[in-house]
Amino acid sequence: MIRPRGRMLNTVCSVAHHHFNPSSSLVLPTTTTRSLSLGQPLLQAAKQPPAVVPDNRVELFIDDKRVLCEPGTTVLQAAAMVGVEIPRFCYHDRLSIAGNCRMCLVEVEKSVKPVASCAMPVMKGMRVKTNSVATRKAREGVMEFLLMNHPLDCPICDQAGECDLQDQSMMFGNDRSRFTDIKFEGKRAVEDKNIGPLVKTIMTRCIHCTRCIRFASEVAGVDDLGTTGRGGDMQVGTYVEKLFASELSGNVIDLCPVGALTSKPYAFTARPWEIRKCETVDVMDALGSNIVVNTRGGEVMRVLPRPNEDVNEEWISDKTRFAYDGLKRQRLTLPMLKNAQGVLEPVDWEAALTGIAAKVSRVEGREIAALVGGLCDVESLVVLKDLLNRLGCETLCTEEAFPMNAAGTDVRSNYLLNTKITGVEEADLVILIGTNIRFEAPVLNARIRKAYLHNNLRVAVVGKKTDLHYEYDHVGDTIQALEQLANGEHKLSKDLAKAKKPMIIVGSSSLQDADGAAILANAIVLADKLKSGSSSGSSDHDWKVLNVLHRHAGQVGALDVGYTPGAGKIKELKPRVLYMLGADAGVVTRKDLAADAFVIYQGHHGDAGAEIADAVLPGAAYTEKSATYVNTEGRAQRANVAVTPPGMAREDWKILRALSEFIPGASLPYEKLEDVRHRMADIAPHLLRYGAVEEANYFKQSHALVHGSKRPSHSGRALAPPQTVLEDFYMTDSISRASRTMAKCIQAARHHKTTKYSVS
Amino acid sequence: MNSSTVLRRTIVSAIQQRQLSASLLPRTLHTSTAVRAKSITELQDAPRKSVEEVGLGRVNREKEFPKIILDVKDDITSFNGVPKEHIHERTARIYVPARNTMQSATNNSRTWKLDFDVRERWENPLMGWSSSADPLSNLAVTFSSKEDAIQFAEKNGWNYFVEEPQPVWKFKPKSYGLNFSWDKKTRVSTK
Amino acid sequence: MIRTVPSRLPLSVSSSVVPASSGVWQNGPRRHQGTAAAAAPAKPKKTKFGPLKDEDRIFTNLYGRHDWKLKGAMARGDWYKTKEILLKGHEWILNEVKKSGLRGRGGAGFPSGMKWSFMNKPSDGRPKYLVVNADEGEPGTCKDREIMRHDPHKLLEGCLIAGKAMHARACYIYIRGEFYNEASNLQVAVKEAYDAGLIGKNACGSGYDYDIFVFRGAGAYICGEETALIESLEGKQGKPRLKPPFPADIGLFGCPTTVANVETVAVAPAICRRSGEWFASFGRERNSGTKLFCISGHVNTPVTVEEEMSIPLKELIERHAGGVTGGWDNLLGIIPGGSSVPLLPKSTCETVLMDFDALSAVQSGLGTAAVIVINKQADIIKCIARLLEFYQHESCGQCTPCREGTGWLNKIMWRFVEGNAKPEEIDMIWELSKQIEGHTICALGDAAAWPVQGLVRHYRPAIEERIREFQEKTSAGNSPPQLKRAASV
Repeated sequence: MIRPRGRMLNTVCSVAHHHFNPSSSLVLPTTTTRSLSLGQPLLQAAKQPPAVVPDNRVELFIDDKRVLCEPGTTVLQAAAMVGVEIPRFCYHDRLSIAGNCRMCLVEVEKSVKPVASCAMPVMKGMRVKTNSVATRKAREGVMEFLLMNHPLDCPICDQAGECDLQDQSMMFGNDRSRFTDIKFEGKRAVEDKNIGPLVKTIMTRCIHCTRCIRFASEVAGVDDLGTTGRGGDMQVGTYVEKLFASELSGNVIDLCPVGALTSKPYAFTARPWEIRKCETVDVMDALGSNIVVNTRGGEVMRVLPRPNEDVNEEWISDKTRFAYDGLKRQRLTLPMLKNAQGVLEPVDWEAALTGIAAKVSRVEGREIAALVGGLCDVESLVVLKDLLNRLGCETLCTEEAFPMNAAGTDVRSNYLLNTKITGVEEADLVILIGTNIRFEAPVLNARIRKAYLHNNLRVAVVGKKTDLHYEYDHVGDTIQALEQLANGEHKLSKDLAKAKKPMIIVGSSSLQDADGAAILANAIVLADKLKSGSSSGSSDHDWKVLNVLHRHAGQVGALDVGYTPGAGKIKELKPRVLYMLGADAGVVTRKDLAADAFVIYQGHHGDAGAEIADAVLPGAAYTEKSATYVNTEGRAQRANVAVTPPGMAREDWKILRALSEFIPGASLPYEKLEDVRHRMADIAPHLLRYGAVEEANYFKQSHALVHGSKRPSHSGRALAPPQTVLEDFYMTDSISRASRTMAKCIQAARHHKTTKYSVS
Repeated sequence: MNSSTVLRRTIVSAIQQRQLSASLLPRTLHTSTAVRAKSITELQDAPRKSVEEVGLGRVNREKEFPKIILDVKDDITSFNGVPKEHIHERTARIYVPARNTMQSATNNSRTWKLDFDVRERWENPLMGWSSSADPLSNLAVTFSSKEDAIQFAEKNGWNYFVEEPQPVWKFKPKSYGLNFSWDKKTRVSTK
Repeated sequence: MIRTVPSRLPLSVSSSVVPASSGVWQNGPRRHQGTAAAAAPAKPKKTKFGPLKDEDRIFTNLYGRHDWKLKGAMARGDWYKTKEILLKGHEWILNEVKKSGLRGRGGAGFPSGMKWSFMNKPSDGRPKYLVVNADEGEPGTCKDREIMRHDPHKLLEGCLIAGKAMHARACYIYIRGEFYNEASNLQVAVKEAYDAGLIGKNACGSGYDYDIFVFRGAGAYICGEETALIESLEGKQGKPRLKPPFPADIGLFGCPTTVANVETVAVAPAICRRSGEWFASFGRERNSGTKLFCISGHVNTPVTVEEEMSIPLKELIERHAGGVTGGWDNLLGIIPGGSSVPLLPKSTCETVLMDFDALSAVQSGLGTAAVIVINKQADIIKCIARLLEFYQHESCGQCTPCREGTGWLNKIMWRFVEGNAKPEEIDMIWELSKQIEGHTICALGDAAAWPVQGLVRHYRPAIEERIREFQEKTSAGNSPPQLKRAASV
């Protein structure tokens, strides 16, 4: 719907041309609404009904358009409200204000000098002219100075075509150069810096906007970048040559308004104008970051973030951004069957499916089991489940475990990040249990850091001490510490109980072994305790406390459609046929199966799963299929096809559908993807509500089960997340394990540890 | 929006009865002043008319030609000549393109776009150009509203789905002074 | 002690002295900060300024002929009944300063009484700070260092009184890194004052707790800009902040702060002792007081001297600096207020008065009152080029116009020195300087632009001449022979 976007604008600021009656300023003429609303960022306020407008708003005029906005808003923001975009280099919505590029200078009536609109707060009755002669002259002057020492090597610059400096010089700059000194002393030249295998620097192009510095210190939380030198000799860099040691480092490439920081793996491979863009979602972690996959000629050239305030803001992790080269290596491109010598050999689809069908038909349904990995989409999960259920198989498991005591995964709220990602910004306390969130969900960690900076969010950690890039209270290493906290016996208990909006985030990485049940039960008890403490003081009774952070993009989807978490049942069953759908974590080995077991692996990479398989079916990776993923919040999102699967690989649901034709009596009724999706909607309607979070709220019931039963016993071990240092971050799944870029990152991170400049 | 929804469509009739034959239209339009003269093809020697007269000049179309609202769905699939395969087996995606995070400007993210599911592309072995066998691969139509895009897709008989735009940014007043505030963590340490 | 206005009328009434364009003080109603000066309509308007009498000098140990330590300072009247001044309360002090018409001595000339009164907003729990800007780096300026090494107690007492006026919790004296001896003397003086109970807890027995810290900078001209100074004090790179927020709102460590020049603070005790009216009696209206003038360059005896405001420039040079080297007629131009203000040609120098308004009326400024005299033996283009080199070197690099512009101006200026340029580049450099001026975060951009503007405004023929000479030289000697032949044909 288009209209509400216009309306939502008005809840924050009402906008009207000044000749309209002020009292009717909340209602815009239709034409204005449409043209404006399309240009506006979608503000979240849209979802709420128009609130009563507070009276302390400041009235000003931007290009004679009347704007009402909150005091403290900057002129640049106020201009954005009426669809006036002021050129900028240093200003970025998600970074602090620097005010140093001077590109946003505007003329303000009664002000002698032009004003930097990015830093100037609005004042009553201000009349801003963003397109006057003086403003244009100021911009042109700044642009001339910026270009004076800029190398103008656009033909060999990777940024060319999507360069702010290019764009704005075309729009606001002069059409010729006066820089005659090029004939005498030439331009400034700056040595390039080596800051790691991901970010390429061509520092001569730098215009010193300091966006990268601010990103590093504010969002990423590493003070690695800064400026050295003075005046024309000022340089942006790390001072000593060292790795820009951040799991979010790639974002500086996006932020850099010129080509000073570009992508090393992408360097010289493609041009923005020859690239096709496919908006899709990421699967490298369970956040489901929104991404744009850039392709050319059937090849993924790079991955960029797609702004989504509710999920990833504007950032993506380095794994999301750079692991795409793993999509081109180690791929399964042909169906394979083991021959008589026990060697996998390529066959055509018909032979592969016939061979598999023969093996499957020979055993009883209850002797079959399925194991699915972390990258599976809901479509293929549903089709696999339907297929095997038809055969009488009920043992369908995910590789990732989840404690099944009490309500287990029967209640959805038990395994979701219930407060949602945006909840972090409302919360006043986050307790992280058994997760190194910095590596398990780097973008979420950046949001926690944001809340820590801006909202004074307090963070407590149960588990091994690691550098999370913000300060936190360390509760303890062990489950006992968590138990003490849950029982209110810990020395921090009283302090933490004061929180009005507490959040507990349990890392699924800590729930993998026998102690998981105890950890989750204690977390639930703690959550109830904090909830009852907070609800007395806070008005928000709907505030959810308990959250589970998953590590795999497919896990919540698998649980939603009824897969059993953990391979325990398979190990008990010792099945004779095991269908592995993208199961590459090596949870199940040949030893867990019957001696004559037939193992089918369907997936996209030749990794741990394909290694033990008797039959291999090449599937599609996340960039190659139209698929549904449910992120850790329970938000269903649609991935789209960016490129087609390589070789003879096919979309996973189609492979399963085709296989069903070969097994007598198992034929599935799906002809098109839409049919599969209708089936998904039958199982769980929220799976098709793309972009929305289906909330779950059965805390009372599920928690009653926990309180009713005895708290599970545990070994008392320390909670140590598997990823502790930077090098652990880069390779976690079959795609990133196949990526050379990720391998280089690990190498760089390991080398960085040996230098004296490494912090942790 | 559901594909079965009947759209109320506003048509500005740009046809003057005297000049253009009704037979050029797919169906008859009922105008309030429907006094039909001979169609232009029937005239032996058509008088020469000025640009304004044939409705190509600067005229206020809204005012001059009456609006007709039809409660029927447009469907041009029967005569547009597109192969069946590309009508029934393709899925169009209607969405608002995301801003390119490499750039500050937002102009490209202001309109709705319609494009199709991706089919195989490959690199031409001779010149290294991108090749495709898909006639719809380069079709990307821009609309000023979602409804227009839906209408276009329905008219062409395509399956489509609409991706609602996600919130891009939450408004929050920004303050330069926070960089220096004395008791907040927003203090800037690095420059 | 109130000094009476001299009864004798000056012989040369300054109507001839006043440039026709100015008219700043001659007619029209003027607002005045103080009330006393305006409330004496019977007093005849003062038209003769300077020389300053010895008994009216504030800085009595400017030349270091006496003891600079506490004992000597007290002998000269410092710290005399400071307690009583403090006990009169901040409003009384503020009122005296307002009456005195004191304007900031650091260059901008903002009325100090008003500036200090900005600090008296109700406290929101944050402490308030006084920061003394002792980062005297402006080329040609050497007044604050004289105060600090020869009269440090005057500064410290001023800090205490100014601090009291604005309810400051503490004072930071940010002293230029290169001023080793000055910092050392100042530190000794601070210790003496602490030991004597003059500052610190219960300063002077007044019940007012006040600390003074001396902080040595690391040698950057830009740290003399008040917000850059604050940044530097906070331990960051000295890069100016944008305004707003003004330091009085968010300053040092995020707290309300006033940054004041050494000289401004150091005259505060004298104003409080001898009354605002006394101070206001010097100089023209709105430009009142005494001032330290630093005269350097091509004069016979370069000197720093305390003089009355509004003293004619020529008299200042003739009387105190022994005149221009080679005589007044050998004068080429004068930079009247430190390197960052535009040049004045000799014709203007004849008549102009040394105060804020008169100098801004001739498109220059009083700045720090550092008079740099340039005589005809100097290469004026090279002089300005050297200044540009200074500004290029001292630009902090934060904002674009200054970072890139100063370098560019410098490059062009050195080509002008040689003459290796095109005449149209003179217009270009003027435009470029206008593109820098007013577009930067701080005033360094303006400061870099003004010398160039002064040069182009008054000495354009000299540049053109240089360019022509260069072209003649190169075309005569270096042009290829066939071209010459073609020309002769």
